[in-house]
Amino acid sequence: MNGRGALVLKVVYPLLALLLVIVVWHLAVAYYQIPRYVLPAPHDVALHIADDWRALMKGFGVTFIEFLLGFVLGAGAGFVFAVLMDAAQPVRGILYPILIVSQAIPIVAIAAALTIWLGFGLAPKLVIVALVVFFPVVVNVLDGLASVDADLLKLVRAMGASKLQVFRHVKLPATYSPLFSALKLSATFSVTGAVIAEWTASTSGGIGAYLLQANSRLNTSGTFAAIAFLAALGVVAFLLVVLTERLLTPWRTSSTARRWSRAYWRD
Amino acid sequence: MTTAPAKLALSRVSHRFGETVALAPTDLTIAPGEFVSVVGPSGCGKSTMFNIIAGVLTPTGGRVSVDGRDVTGRAGEVGYMLQKDLLLPWRTVLENIVLGATLKGGASRKEREEGVALARRYGLGDFVNHYPAALSGGMRQRVALMRTLAMHRDVLLLDEPFGALDSQTRFAMQQWLLSVWERERRTIVFVTHDIDESVYLSDRVVVMSPRPGRIRRILEVPIPRPRPVSCLTTPEFAAIKREILDIIYEEAPQIGAGTPETGA
Repeated sequence: MNGRGALVLKVVYPLLALLLVIVVWHLAVAYYQIPRYVLPAPHDVALHIADDWRALMKGFGVTFIEFLLGFVLGAGAGFVFAVLMDAAQPVRGILYPILIVSQAIPIVAIAAALTIWLGFGLAPKLVIVALVVFFPVVVNVLDGLASVDADLLKLVRAMGASKLQVFRHVKLPATYSPLFSALKLSATFSVTGAVIAEWTASTSGGIGAYLLQANSRLNTSGTFAAIAFLAALGVVAFLLVVLTERLLTPWRTSSTARRWSRAYWRD
Repeated sequence: MTTAPAKLALSRVSHRFGETVALAPTDLTIAPGEFVSVVGPSGCGKSTMFNIIAGVLTPTGGRVSVDGRDVTGRAGEVGYMLQKDLLLPWRTVLENIVLGATLKGGASRKEREEGVALARRYGLGDFVNHYPAALSGGMRQRVALMRTLAMHRDVLLLDEPFGALDSQTRFAMQQWLLSVWERERRTIVFVTHDIDESVYLSDRVVVMSPRPGRIRRILEVPIPRPRPVSCLTTPEFAAIKREILDIIYEEAPQIGAGTPETGA
């Protein structure tokens, strides 16, 4: 695809889609004369955002930090678990059933218990976000480790590679693609996780807490402003993952190594 | 044999998987710089023998030696290449070529320079910074062979390296391999299903047969080198090919044997 076509597809179309949603929303509110406390018009929400910009941005920052730290924590823990499970069959046999059962427990149920154990601060939020990312990462990384071609392993062993070298140069890089599939999938779910955690108990005032407050006062404009910020947060989370993926796995999007990378050969 | 110094020698090498004899005691001596092909139907012990020479399988009997050194069950003593190119998609062509050095603790500047020189010598100089996904099948196999060459092993073990390529590319690759072999003076053991390929490339063809896997015959290919394409249609070539086919098919179960011949 040429650069211009890609730009249209990646930037212009999504913006057009967003515009379309706003236009339909506006027309619907005007045509059906929907009261403001049921569904505010787009410009009401925009006005609310402008009025309460500082509080919303602060909430955005709080929830973003919860997402980011929890996400990195969960992804890291999931990765380490997967590597251990791949390395030792008994570890895998014991942990796998526990992991699956743990997935069957609704996050909301865990959230309540976590408040009792960890209080109202940042810790329970991080744990919940981490739990959301953890499982997909474990499963995908395990798949990645297991799907390394047996002939490839034979080849590198015949080349005299040690177990550690095989892991570092063959198995580890093979996990990147499935890892990022898991991360992309769970990026937006993690934001949901952060919101649920804030609903359960929050003294820190993230966007989720903001939403809860606005809703309880029938401040529908406030609710929708919070929803808009949460949507933005989800998009930011997803884009961050995509950007990291592009930086760490250049071979998936480019035909040659980057000029500034260590791999690039120059005479 | 003590008269001629062997580059690679198998003496009474055998292998069994449980009750099954995969390879009956086998002797094979290969001279330095020789090009030897191994042909035979599936189940003839080709792969077992290949894995034993590569050192990834320890035989249940006998020993393998390179230059008289016992290397039985030791990996990393011979260069090794398979039908699948097995290039690492996250490494550039150059990084794939120097993989052997990387696995031994990191490729030095000198080893990388050698890798680039190899790529240039064999027509991939413009692709050293490319990822394998950007290359054609033939180019990828050439990179795989360069990776094998860059390991500086005197003996190269090639298991159907061109089996997955289309016939035109395959023929071009065979000629390219001969030019590489003539230039690098390595000893090559080449496993294949393709009898034409084995005769065209080799000094000697080892014909194996199954149940139990063993060497049936070793044939000399007296066709002078360099071998032009036209040698494929000479009576000499056809005679050797017929001889190999006879050995292989005299053992194979006769499909439809006993039914009267029909048609032309």
